[in-house]
Amino acid sequence: MKFRLRTPIPWYQIMRITFIQILISTMLSGIAYSNTLNAQDILNRKISISLNNTTLVDVLTHLQKNDNVKFIYSSDAINGLQKVSINMENQSLKNVLDQVLKSKGINYEVLQDRIVLGKATDAAPLNATEPVITSAVNADASMAVTITGKVVDKTGEPIIGASILEKGTTNGASTDLNGNFKLSVAGPGSVLVVAYIGFNNQEVAVGNQTNITITMVEGVKNLTEVVVVGYGTQSKATVTGAISSIKAADMQDQQVTRIDDALRGRVSGVTVVQSSGAPGSAPTVRIRGVTSRLNSDPLYVIDGVVIDNGGIDNVNPNDIESIEVLKDASAAIYGSRASSGVILVTTKKGKKGEPQISYNGYVGVQGPVSKVQLANASQYATLRNEALTNDGNAPLFANPSSLGAGTNWQDEIFSNSAMIQNHNLSISGATDKANYYTSFGYLDQKGIVTPDISDYKKFNFTTNTSYKFKKWLTVGENFTYTYTRSKSIGNTNSVFGGPLSSALNLDPLTPAVVRDINSQPNAAIYNDPTNPIVYNAQGLPYGISNYVSQEITNPLAYAQTLAGNYSYATNLLGSAFVEIEPIPGLKIRSQIGAKQAYFGQDGFTPIYYLNSSTKNLSNTSQYQENDRNLTWNLDNTATYSRSFGKHNFTALIGQSAQKSTSSGIGGTFIGEPVNSFADASTGFALPAANRIANGIIVQPHTLASTFGRLTYDYDQKYLFTGIIRRDGSSRFGSNNIYGTFPSAEVGYVMSREDWFPKNSFLDFFKLRGSYGVVGNERALGDFAYAATIGSGRNYVFGNDGLIIGYSPNAPANPDLKWEETKTANIGFDATLFNNLSVTFDVYRKLTQGMLQQVQFPSYAGFNGQPFDNVGNMENKGVELSLGYANQVGEFHYNVSGNISYNHNEITSLGKQINYFTVGTVQSSTYEIGRDAVGQPTGEFYGFQELGVFHSQAEINAYTKNGQMIQPNAKPGDFKWADTDGDGKITQADRKFLGNPLPTFNYGINFNANYKNFDIKLFGQGVWGNKIYQAYRRLDIASANYPIAALDAWTPANASSNYPRLTDADPNQNFKNPSNFYLQNGAYFRIKTLQLGYTLPQAWLKAADVKRVRVFLSSNNLVTITGYKGYDPEVGANNNNGGIDMGIYPQARTFMAGLDITL
Amino acid sequence: MKSKHYIYTGAVLLGVAAMASCKKSFLELQPQGQFLQSNYYANPAQALTAVVAAYDPLVTETGGIDNTYSSPLGALNSASDDCFAGGGSSSDVPAWQAINNYTLSPTVGPQNQFWAINFQGVNRADVLLEQLPKVPGLGADLLKRYTAEGQFLRAHYYFDLVRLFKSVPLILSTLNLTNVYDQPQATPEAVYTQIETDLKAAIAGLPVTVAAAENGRVTQGAAKALLGKVYLYEKKWALAATTLQDVNTNYGYKLQANFGSVFSVKNKFNSESIFELVHSGTQNYTWSNWDQFKSNILVQMVGPRNYKGPIYYGAGYGFNPVTTQLATAMKGDPRYGYTIVNIDSLTKATGTSYEPSYQNTGYFINKYAPVLANIVTTGITDLNWPNDYIEIRLADTYLMEAEADLNGGGTGRAQTLLDAVRSRVGLPSISATLQNIYTERRLELATEGHRWFDLVRWGQAPTALAFKGFKAGVNEILPIPLNETTNGSKVKQNQGY
Repeated sequence: MKFRLRTPIPWYQIMRITFIQILISTMLSGIAYSNTLNAQDILNRKISISLNNTTLVDVLTHLQKNDNVKFIYSSDAINGLQKVSINMENQSLKNVLDQVLKSKGINYEVLQDRIVLGKATDAAPLNATEPVITSAVNADASMAVTITGKVVDKTGEPIIGASILEKGTTNGASTDLNGNFKLSVAGPGSVLVVAYIGFNNQEVAVGNQTNITITMVEGVKNLTEVVVVGYGTQSKATVTGAISSIKAADMQDQQVTRIDDALRGRVSGVTVVQSSGAPGSAPTVRIRGVTSRLNSDPLYVIDGVVIDNGGIDNVNPNDIESIEVLKDASAAIYGSRASSGVILVTTKKGKKGEPQISYNGYVGVQGPVSKVQLANASQYATLRNEALTNDGNAPLFANPSSLGAGTNWQDEIFSNSAMIQNHNLSISGATDKANYYTSFGYLDQKGIVTPDISDYKKFNFTTNTSYKFKKWLTVGENFTYTYTRSKSIGNTNSVFGGPLSSALNLDPLTPAVVRDINSQPNAAIYNDPTNPIVYNAQGLPYGISNYVSQEITNPLAYAQTLAGNYSYATNLLGSAFVEIEPIPGLKIRSQIGAKQAYFGQDGFTPIYYLNSSTKNLSNTSQYQENDRNLTWNLDNTATYSRSFGKHNFTALIGQSAQKSTSSGIGGTFIGEPVNSFADASTGFALPAANRIANGIIVQPHTLASTFGRLTYDYDQKYLFTGIIRRDGSSRFGSNNIYGTFPSAEVGYVMSREDWFPKNSFLDFFKLRGSYGVVGNERALGDFAYAATIGSGRNYVFGNDGLIIGYSPNAPANPDLKWEETKTANIGFDATLFNNLSVTFDVYRKLTQGMLQQVQFPSYAGFNGQPFDNVGNMENKGVELSLGYANQVGEFHYNVSGNISYNHNEITSLGKQINYFTVGTVQSSTYEIGRDAVGQPTGEFYGFQELGVFHSQAEINAYTKNGQMIQPNAKPGDFKWADTDGDGKITQADRKFLGNPLPTFNYGINFNANYKNFDIKLFGQGVWGNKIYQAYRRLDIASANYPIAALDAWTPANASSNYPRLTDADPNQNFKNPSNFYLQNGAYFRIKTLQLGYTLPQAWLKAADVKRVRVFLSSNNLVTITGYKGYDPEVGANNNNGGIDMGIYPQARTFMAGLDITL
Repeated sequence: MKSKHYIYTGAVLLGVAAMASCKKSFLELQPQGQFLQSNYYANPAQALTAVVAAYDPLVTETGGIDNTYSSPLGALNSASDDCFAGGGSSSDVPAWQAINNYTLSPTVGPQNQFWAINFQGVNRADVLLEQLPKVPGLGADLLKRYTAEGQFLRAHYYFDLVRLFKSVPLILSTLNLTNVYDQPQATPEAVYTQIETDLKAAIAGLPVTVAAAENGRVTQGAAKALLGKVYLYEKKWALAATTLQDVNTNYGYKLQANFGSVFSVKNKFNSESIFELVHSGTQNYTWSNWDQFKSNILVQMVGPRNYKGPIYYGAGYGFNPVTTQLATAMKGDPRYGYTIVNIDSLTKATGTSYEPSYQNTGYFINKYAPVLANIVTTGITDLNWPNDYIEIRLADTYLMEAEADLNGGGTGRAQTLLDAVRSRVGLPSISATLQNIYTERRLELATEGHRWFDLVRWGQAPTALAFKGFKAGVNEILPIPLNETTNGSKVKQNQGY
């Protein structure tokens, strides 16, 4: 036998897996330069290695390079190109070599510090510990059959290196490069056991089959998984923080248009509320509740670049490799911006192997899920008559029943066939030295409400590459271009007009389009040539209501006045890094990232007449605005990993700087000689006075930080992480320029103790605890600490001599600083029965020094209010996540679910402030909600109605100390609770009525496949909140009524508890905010139901296509809720106070789609 | 190889250190588009901007606590027996509706505007008076004049506050985070004393006349007129009479020959104008300038709705319809046509139409009517009316002096002054009794914002305004805005609210 030393082997051949995996394995594997090692020392050395579908040579090279293991072997004896996959964390070299070599029939022995490989002389047992049982069935050797087969994953990708063992024997094989295997077994009674790391073991009865395709199902989240933790990664097994992770596979095949939407219902403790279904609109994301009155948005970090909220729209969900959510003190690595949690997004990189071209896309139609039940024309007339006669007026409509159904305005504005299409194409690959990933995405979504003025288009292009030039030098870059263009219907969730509010309030008597003007009661309006009324394409005028006016207009005509108006954004997002490794284990990385955004809008106001108060008779105007924003950041980090025996350390120090600037300019062009957006142009010659410019200034912002993190574990059993970050911000007051944010986390992997029962139901058990201080700098405005001088306090001297006046905005507050959130977390991770994973956390977050604008009394006379750190808020909660995967024959399934409970409470608002008002409704007598001490933020506040007075006797009987409490009430009026017991109904009788924030959020996910078919079911819901439904304009007596008003109290319907209809409303039945308007906001919604079919491999082979899958999918198929509105997902987290004034509902979508991988 | 690595490492670490060393300045930014107070008031030009800012609340048309439309005239007219609130419906501009029918409450009513804007004026005047002595390069003459203007303006704002709310905090220096809540209400006497002090000081520093380009800035005559008016409200009859006599005789003011020309946009700063609040029609305001209007939006507000007839702009909002009481009282008076326009009969006569507003009487304000001839040539018509509001004019000071003179015992000047006012419009002399002077004031100054104050100080409000629901002993002053009495302030709500 001839040996030759294969050295030097080029180190760069080792690249196979993602950069991140290398990074982590390098960190953890440590370094060891020992001159005199005996065989046992070498074989006991701890190795972490994670390489998939690579060659034996690559594995050996990796070990040689990273772990300083030297090999000697003969290329004649050993086939170095055999495919292997290995994924081991902190295992002895012996274990690693056993796994890699023994299955290939290779023996090894240690010679001094070298390992010599040789061909095995006998067939090595695949698994020596497997008890050898000879079954009765295979005793008949004459029945031996040869099975060929293929092992694939659920996407149809071949699994290379999977082991196939005939159950009860030592007879086995492993799959080749194409996932194929060949094995002779005893006979039809044999059972094959298929195993591959990261997947559940699978048993297949041979039966009559000779060609078997085995689809493996991914196991419960593997503990070898790597988790991104900010400026680095950590092994999931040793993570000590409350960090949730979603991988590409979890999001794959989910038809979401935004990343934040992909998080919904999938991560415990994360609430995603899409309170507008308008295409392209951003949901509100809250991690463990509302932590601040001013800004509770999580911090988004994409590939290490901190992105503002809007920036998250720039990343195509198809380009995501993983999303990690830092929920507890582990977020302290982002210091003053971390109190609302951190969302770390990692995008896909090219993977080694042949270049991959994938397409996925879908086309679908969208429609509304439900409509609100409103009165039709004859019902409307009846109810109007009822209200008028109740007030002692004459009825208006002589014969209501003759009026029929009239116009259903909701049918007019909703589209049941709004199209959506999304196409994504990606090209990726990697060689030893470089990897690349390029993708294109296109989304075109029409809205379901007045689609002419509601749509969203997005085009993405992204590319990233990295090169390993030298053993110690890696450089890479990442670039994304995004263009979005959207049309918006104007007012949503507002009673001031817009299609939704108009459809809810407009009388059904008015026709959508008028065919016979003279039949209209207000024919004069149409016939008046000075009224520029709006016509449809056929030249017929849109109906103008004779009964309802102000901002409530014909929504079809309204849409015409907004036709064409749009806003746009172009975003260029890029980053580049250089990483050097001067000595093994030490990595120094420098990254510069930038976002350059250009955005703006273009809108035209024609001359129009919608009704007597909503019109533009004088001049057309066009408004165009163009803005730009530049944010850059520079991050330098040094990471050093080392192990001493069982002690493993990783230390990180880093420094970061960030700056953002933004400005824009807008122009109003009055009196262009055209009357539509299509014809409008800023190029028309206009008098200078009719071309009016305005500037848009966003104050600059800088942040300078230093940070460090130490992670330590002893034998992966006792875990510790310490983090400290020091942030300086241009927003901090001059007395607090720098803030320091420390945290500590400990973990204890009990299942690694010797005494821990082996082979019990509990496979893994880790206890975690963390405590830390994080901040909220983003709740602070720029220069909020300073006394600034504002302009625009003008006066006119002489004839038209306008002089710009300047005066202080608000007094200075040099003590101003960040909000501070003290966060404590205790939890555990466990794996049971090998396929049930459990994660449980309990937390408490206390926000102190809550930022708010101090409500100076107006007598202070300032234009603005100063900010101050006053008040505390607390969030307490419990989170539970479960995951389970299993199979029944060829039916593979996994089920996962999560539920979180959060209780929010304002514990202090400082000495001066009793409460802040939250949420208003036009003409309501008082505010709808309050931020008050002892209550959840925005708790509903108002009167309590105790049903209506059914008779005068009941009014007379409602007394206090013999005095009538509501002497002026009439039968049919609300009986208000006299909360303060003073015998009168006053504003002091208002009380807290309910929580707009859900206490429970949950999500469940079910995936299954059978042969080539797959099904995905994903549902999500909330519980514990109330919604304030305020659809009807209180100040427009003639606005349309909800259908429930048909049951209003009348002498003939005296048992009703719906108050009598009255325009004057002297008892404020309708104008008082009260529990009358509150409804239960709980819902459960099937977000996704999808059926897929993967074309059989045999069909695709001829076309040389790897995978083709077709699917039918539906979003929002079913919503179970008691809420009687468009959509229960109203959301109270984003300053609308949980008030539904006609939110833009989410669409129900039906889609057909295609995934192709070449 | 290795040494090379160390060089690179060293270079990077040096870079890190370099970044860290310049951090402090990296974090110190200058705001864009605005100044820091610590750097401002550094030259005479900036001092002038502070003067302008102190004038600004005189004509703040939008703002107040709820940032709504807030011209004082609309609310005062709605409160009086000259006009109703009007508008689109019973809930259009709720503040005006509430004072129109005296359903004022701490949350609903015009007090939110009056309180906030006048205190904003006080703050601007306080800032001005605090900063002026520190402005480098400001000459003695300018210092004297600017100081006097600040004193006048502070007195002006406090005069409104004390008349409307009676007991208000007396704030003579700007407040900060530590002392803002520690401001008790001063007695009305203390406030009046401060007003007198400020006005007397202002008179000494103000010019008798100003250049045409500075028209609208305070003159000595204006300050004396205001002081006289203050004395009148304090019932210091003798002081009022002598001070107003000074104004009426020594400053060259003359009644306009034609009553109508007093209100003409082509006749701004006329000989009868003593203190004029200036509006501009040339600023091209749009709806996006909500907090900037220096045009006269009231003109738009009081126009008839959906009007199709001649002379007037068609798209008014129909506020402040004139009461039939006033129309009846003015029947036959030569000033009727300049004061009131009967849109009802005008549309009937011309075969045109208009849309009755809420509380429509058919009568509309004419002194500030949206006349087609005044329409601006650029910008949005609705938002760019150029009409000035003359807050103090000679006919007013004549009648105030007459009233003070009579109350103070009478020197005979009362008759002369009353006659002068009447003869200007061709009316014969009538006896200068108090009641006749009261009546003359109503007819001469109708819809100019004086009537409600007059009724209150004469004690006639409970009877004259009974038809609107005026409650004696309560509605003489406004409620204090709710938020001022909560959230830790020392301010107590007015009796009855």
